[in-house]
Amino acid sequence: MAYTKEQIQEMIRQEAKKALATGEVSAVVGWTSTRFEDRTKPFFAETESECDLLVWNEYCINGTAKYALDDRYPEKKLAVIARGCDSRAINRLIQDKQVKRENLYIIGVACDGKDNPICKECQHKNPLTFDVLVGEEVEEQINADRFAEVLAFEKLTPDERYDYWAKQYDKCIHCYACRNACPACNCIECYADQYRTGWQGKAADREQNQVYGLTRVYHVGDRCIECGECERVCPMDLPIMRQTRKMLKDINDLFGDYECGLPDDRKPVLGEYKLEDPDEFM
Amino acid sequence: MARIGVFICHCGTNIASVVDVERVAESAKTMPGVVFATTYKYMCSEPGQAMIKESIEQYNLDRIVIGSCSPRMHELTFRKMLKGTKINPYMLEIANLREQCAWVHTDREKATEKAIGLVQMSVAKVANNKPLTTSTIPITKRALVIGGGIAGMQAALDIADCGFDVTIVEKEPSIGGHMVMLDKTFPTMDCSACISTPKMVECNAHPNITLKTSCEVEKVSGYVGNFEVTIKEKAKYVNHDLCTGCGLCQTKCPTKVTSEFDQGLSKRPAIYIPFAQAVPSKPVIDANACLKLTKDKCGICEKVCPIGAIDYKDEVSYTTEEYGAIVIATGYELVDWAEMYPEYGGGKYKDVITGLQFERLVNASGPTEGHIVRPSDGKEPKDVVIVKCVGSRDPKKGKSYCSRACCMYSAKHAHQILDKIPNSRVYIFYMDVRTPGKGYEEFYDNTRRDGAQYIRGRVSKIYKEGSKLIVRGEDSLIGKPVTVEADMVILATAMEPSPTVADVANKLGIAIDADRWVTEAHPKLRPVETQTNGIYLCGTCQGPKDIPDTVAQGSAAAAKVAALLCHDEMETSPMISFVDPNKCSGCGFCEGVCPYKAITMVEYAGRDGNRRVTKTVAQVNEGLCQGCGCCNAICRTGCIDLKGFTNDQILKEVDALCL
Repeated sequence: MAYTKEQIQEMIRQEAKKALATGEVSAVVGWTSTRFEDRTKPFFAETESECDLLVWNEYCINGTAKYALDDRYPEKKLAVIARGCDSRAINRLIQDKQVKRENLYIIGVACDGKDNPICKECQHKNPLTFDVLVGEEVEEQINADRFAEVLAFEKLTPDERYDYWAKQYDKCIHCYACRNACPACNCIECYADQYRTGWQGKAADREQNQVYGLTRVYHVGDRCIECGECERVCPMDLPIMRQTRKMLKDINDLFGDYECGLPDDRKPVLGEYKLEDPDEFM
Repeated sequence: MARIGVFICHCGTNIASVVDVERVAESAKTMPGVVFATTYKYMCSEPGQAMIKESIEQYNLDRIVIGSCSPRMHELTFRKMLKGTKINPYMLEIANLREQCAWVHTDREKATEKAIGLVQMSVAKVANNKPLTTSTIPITKRALVIGGGIAGMQAALDIADCGFDVTIVEKEPSIGGHMVMLDKTFPTMDCSACISTPKMVECNAHPNITLKTSCEVEKVSGYVGNFEVTIKEKAKYVNHDLCTGCGLCQTKCPTKVTSEFDQGLSKRPAIYIPFAQAVPSKPVIDANACLKLTKDKCGICEKVCPIGAIDYKDEVSYTTEEYGAIVIATGYELVDWAEMYPEYGGGKYKDVITGLQFERLVNASGPTEGHIVRPSDGKEPKDVVIVKCVGSRDPKKGKSYCSRACCMYSAKHAHQILDKIPNSRVYIFYMDVRTPGKGYEEFYDNTRRDGAQYIRGRVSKIYKEGSKLIVRGEDSLIGKPVTVEADMVILATAMEPSPTVADVANKLGIAIDADRWVTEAHPKLRPVETQTNGIYLCGTCQGPKDIPDTVAQGSAAAAKVAALLCHDEMETSPMISFVDPNKCSGCGFCEGVCPYKAITMVEYAGRDGNRRVTKTVAQVNEGLCQGCGCCNAICRTGCIDLKGFTNDQILKEVDALCL
């Protein structure tokens, strides 16, 4: 018997209260309602009564994992309510050595798909890493094709693709929302914020936006956990995941099956040196 | 403001014939920061260098650009020159106008434009150069030689003669390697054992040499001048401190297994001294064959040993020692031809043997005391076929390379057969006869005069008919198939690196190529160095070669080691990576991509807002870093940078060309 949303919501609240009651947890990150019926917002429950404000519905969209970076040197644990994508984001942060597993208390909850287009391609609805699981696991979408969009796009000519991206980057306003939402973008200081070296021009023109776009995709391409937050938060609706997925598809083609943020994650392919690495291009 | 001098070299006509050097110099004068530009026929020559030095004084230059050949060629020359001036040796940039411009272009106009662009980039970069200073690290005056074959022994002896302590690590129970198995050596026909066993004895007796037989390298850490090596000593089951080497145990041992030393042509006991001249001349127990160790029966050797040196409870032990330099001399093995060439019987026929087996057959200390007989029935063969290039020069089945020694040892085998067996006939199937070496061609001529018949072509099939081996092949000079009824066939099989080499190379952090040969730092100019400072190579671990070349390389590696160890401390290159710990996120990607294991993650007392926190950040070991820049490329934050090639300098170069 599957649980109803309300039952899961109640169980989340109970687990949150239990976590806070241990005294080891400073806050529980989840979602709470807003004045709009079809919107929730991320929420830090710090007291027992605040736990009752946590909600669970199809509008719980925002990623919760990256809030662990708000305090990189915490004195207490942070409890995170984690869906499949959040648990992969947590694994990302752990594998990138940005947070320590022991500083997190993970309340896992299987996700039934949210009001978010990328959920249709989701292959990990169930959390992969957790301390406690709320409710029960759900069936995964085995037939979801992550690369369908990329495959279709690859059929265009290089000129058509260039024109397409040029137009997209004409729209970009260089706000870095995609970076700020991305769990793989976890450097203490982003290259784009470094003014002196001049890696990244500040102008929001096509040229500088393209430099940013290409650099971003290379920085996260082999570590992307495919949560789609970058694309969701983009105020100008750039299809950002299409780029990252292209990178992931190429990595899949070259290095075999490759998905990030799994608990047994192998090292990011671009971040490893082996003597037996192929070097036929040299 | 920088005061830059630009010096454009003609390189005789190498550069000047394609590039208008005068125009390049004129153009350089207009570049930002350039106060002087000129050309000269040979900038690297004595007068050329003197001219640069004078110009530095005259125009009060504080940094220079030289447009000449590749920096790999003369950057060091010009740095040395700058040591005698007021300018820091690292305030120098080389614009490569020869290899990357004049040599690869023909259009004078375009090549000149490109040369101007290259100089422009170097000017932009040098304007951002900072003086760099070398630091020094102490040197442990001891060397480790991995492998106790002729290459390793020669290297060890030469290093030891220079007065430095040397340890030889040999995985087998005795040093000596392959050379001591051989009978005679071409082209002089001196007895191989007679010239190699004295070296083995010398290694044992030398006060500066420590032999570690039955040992392997377990772990290597550290860097040039300061390696820390863990050596694994396999269980010998015989206490060599007590053992006198009387040999009673091996005469009484009831177990008999195939002898590795005799290439499977004889048997040896389970407790054994590998061969009569072995060093150390003390037995070890083969744990896989010994009845006591496998079935807990027998125990005869313990009973007969007069001094109680047998120790069945012996275990693997580890020692860690420090060395300043390491020589890898892991040698070769012959390829497993049986799997590659089923058409030659695939090992079915006892009388199809390898060259190394023949060496044992013809060797006076071998299983037949030097009588050439068929392994199958002990009869003397009259018709012998030698097949060359078995596994070599055969990319489809074996290796694409030439094994170099086979042409000569095959000629030697033919000579020995014709010499020892009256009325014998020798047929040699060959692709080409390659005899580059002193006295080699003459030796080959002699063998032909002895009556060896050289047939140019490959052998397609070997099969048995009665007691004869039928060898079918083609004589490609007359374009006809040939069939030889032979009594014995000798295959000149390809050399391949010792199977242990990949593991050892991995532990040492040095590169091997697709065929697993150890890669030298530069094939011509640095032939016995590896890309890792302080690690040298010699012998057949680098590629197939004969004994003279192997010995020469052993001595060459020893000279390099001695040149390192004779100093108390050494200068390190200042062009290495450094980390800005405040920016570092501690992701550890640089640690993963570093080919030299030069990066470690360390605790760092940092700040987070107004809190004091302990961060984990990357740290570069200045002794290990070779300045390759992999860490720079992987660092997303750009907090790791390479002195002399900073991100800033490279961006300035790009800007100079593109903006």
